[in-house]
Amino acid sequence: MMELQEWNPLGYKNLYRDLFKKHLARQDSLLKQGRPVGWFFSFHPSEIIYIFDVVPAYPEQYSAYCAARGSSVDLIDASISKGYGHFLCDYFKTTVGMIEEPEKATKPLMPKPDFIVDTRALCVAHHEMTEVFARKYGIPKYTINYPFWTSDALGYVDELTKIPEMVEELYIEYSISKLKGLLEFMEKVTKIPLSDEKFKSVFETSEKTSKLLIEVAKLMMSKPTPGSQREIADLVFLAFFVLGSNYALEFAEKGYEMIKGRVKRKEGVVPEEKFRLLTFGIMPWHSLSLYEYCEMLGATFPVNLYVNASLHLCDSKKPFESMVRRSMHFTNSTYDLMDGVIENARKADLDGALLLENTGCRITSMIIRPLADTLQEELGLPSLILEAPQCDPRIMPLERAKTQVEAFIESLK
Amino acid sequence: MLAKKVDRMEKIEKVEKIDALYNFFLTRSLLRKYKENGKKIIASLCNNVPEEIIHSMGAVPVRLLGLAKSTELASAKIPTWLCLYSKRLMEDGLRREFDFLDGIVGMTSDDTKTHLFSAYSFYLKPGFSYLIQIPYVRDKSSIEFFEKELKRFVEKFESFFNTEFSEEKLGESIEIYNRFRDLLNDLSRLRWEDEPKVSGEEWLKILLASTSMLKEELIEHLEDILEKVNDSEGYKDYKLRIHLSGTDFYDVEIVKMIEDLGGIVVSDDLCTSSGYYIGNVGGRTLRDLARRYLTQSACVLTARLEHLSIEDRLNFIMERIGESRANAIVLLKDRGCEICGHQCPFILQEFTDIPTLVLDLDTPYPTEQLKTRVEAFVESYG
Repeated sequence: MMELQEWNPLGYKNLYRDLFKKHLARQDSLLKQGRPVGWFFSFHPSEIIYIFDVVPAYPEQYSAYCAARGSSVDLIDASISKGYGHFLCDYFKTTVGMIEEPEKATKPLMPKPDFIVDTRALCVAHHEMTEVFARKYGIPKYTINYPFWTSDALGYVDELTKIPEMVEELYIEYSISKLKGLLEFMEKVTKIPLSDEKFKSVFETSEKTSKLLIEVAKLMMSKPTPGSQREIADLVFLAFFVLGSNYALEFAEKGYEMIKGRVKRKEGVVPEEKFRLLTFGIMPWHSLSLYEYCEMLGATFPVNLYVNASLHLCDSKKPFESMVRRSMHFTNSTYDLMDGVIENARKADLDGALLLENTGCRITSMIIRPLADTLQEELGLPSLILEAPQCDPRIMPLERAKTQVEAFIESLK
Repeated sequence: MLAKKVDRMEKIEKVEKIDALYNFFLTRSLLRKYKENGKKIIASLCNNVPEEIIHSMGAVPVRLLGLAKSTELASAKIPTWLCLYSKRLMEDGLRREFDFLDGIVGMTSDDTKTHLFSAYSFYLKPGFSYLIQIPYVRDKSSIEFFEKELKRFVEKFESFFNTEFSEEKLGESIEIYNRFRDLLNDLSRLRWEDEPKVSGEEWLKILLASTSMLKEELIEHLEDILEKVNDSEGYKDYKLRIHLSGTDFYDVEIVKMIEDLGGIVVSDDLCTSSGYYIGNVGGRTLRDLARRYLTQSACVLTARLEHLSIEDRLNFIMERIGESRANAIVLLKDRGCEICGHQCPFILQEFTDIPTLVLDLDTPYPTEQLKTRVEAFVESYG
């Protein structure tokens, strides 16, 4: 049995509580006003939610919530019993389960959508699942498919800001034309015209928040690692879904100050940092304590590529380009476009990687081995790959995962 | 008596001819021969890659399909739960079975195919590689974009292989491909007869052969087969006319098993069959090609504006069933296929008036169990 250290997280818990409270209060208020409900997915241009005053619901976030509360297993089984495939995204299966057998789902359920926005900035699965949801509810859907970036279309990309050295104009133009179409679609489904003033102000907020979140990610790479992945992993909620909101900005301002103070004081998440690990994969929301456990063993996580993928530097003067840049993460690129990831990993001075293969998610799972190979070749870093679907604990029992992690950490010594 | 004997002879000749063609798919011998003769061999990783472009620039387009029975090498590089198509393709690649290739062309048609392109390029480093970005919407701006994207592909190809593209040559290639489609349409009509003159097994073998040889060469064989088939007697001893639904399916053995048990496959919506050939190109330019590949194919992910692609797919299946008068559906549900996984329930809901059998497929095939299920299905509804 390895010795466990005292765990000392940043204390973002209260900030998240406050953030969710404000987000839910906004939802309630807009629902009472009869504003339309839209379903959205990660990497969508979340600013539109605040520009058009709509009620957003996020199947991914709701499914993660069900996984944390323990209802996702029943919902996944409900989806499979209706004929959907075993090896599909857990988020899809959990959401279908909620639609088909709501009595088994964690409350409050997601509100029924009036429209759906289908963005392929990460996976075609988003497109496939929005087809299913749109047909089930008989609602309008708008589709944007950003390019899947290849090295002949995209040069070096900074991993955190998503600012590229070179980009193919054709792809930018087409994506922007589709984004303009999205604004027209939003005007139609929300029945309010686009306000230039609001558009500008939401993007200005987004810019401020995005800058701060990038700073937080940078500070996480300090020595010793100042925070825990149990709290950093949830930053994806801000980056994916509520970036243009005032409450996200409040969170980011406070969160930034907290981590900055920690770094200044050279205070780590545990007293003695033994190993510094990179992590990637959608978080296993049912077993986030795995990260806490690793940290207590002295293995901290200064780099989380999943969180980093969710970030981008929003430029309010170039809002459309910014929305396209959101898609320029390494999980939406061919595997030869990992230079930015490697550069950050080098800066973070790492000892190894904990990679999660999310069964059913083709994106994270197919990139895992090339990522492990690249980390080994470029930086000499060994990786532990765990099969860990994000909402189904049956495939990754926590105790087994802990044993595997312990053995991996032993091997690093 | 003499007439019957002649007919039997024609049937034997037809079968032998088709088997000889199918052998080109199994051995890839023609592709190697083309290579020896100085042709560039370019693999496509999706049935929606416009092969006419590659053909017009003097190369041989080949729809890449793996033949490996087990996939232990692939399992070390890609997840084991992916579809059979991707695992077999990766396996054959890792076993160096595709050493004759000069390049690969992928398409962003689904996650597996997109990332298969990435994984293949990453691990096997083909000389040339290009990923065609396909829009999921069939509106005006998307067709315009797609035309530009095809131009971009042409430029990359020209520059890599130091070759030149011409619209005239493209026009000639389109003519060849349209002729290939016309012949398959003619042959397909013979499947729809009360006594189908081509079995599902024979049909699939022809389609698979078409992936492994130049179309102009295949056309000659097709004309010959068509003549032989036209004059032959059809299959009478079947109990159920079956529509085969699925995606990148190409296991002839399964089709043979269905037909040995009393079914006859008269139509399909497979990416390796109907989804590959149906829909002629209505012109001779890149724009015509863009329109065809975005609007006429059975691609399961692109949709008309304000429509869903699943609706288009259901209509496609309905048309095929209407033409062929199939009275049952066998749904081939590859456990790792994302398209099957998402769309299977809708197909079941849409065709409640037609008996449907869902076969969950994963390797190794539980052959005896599959036989029992098909046998019971044919017995129940035949």
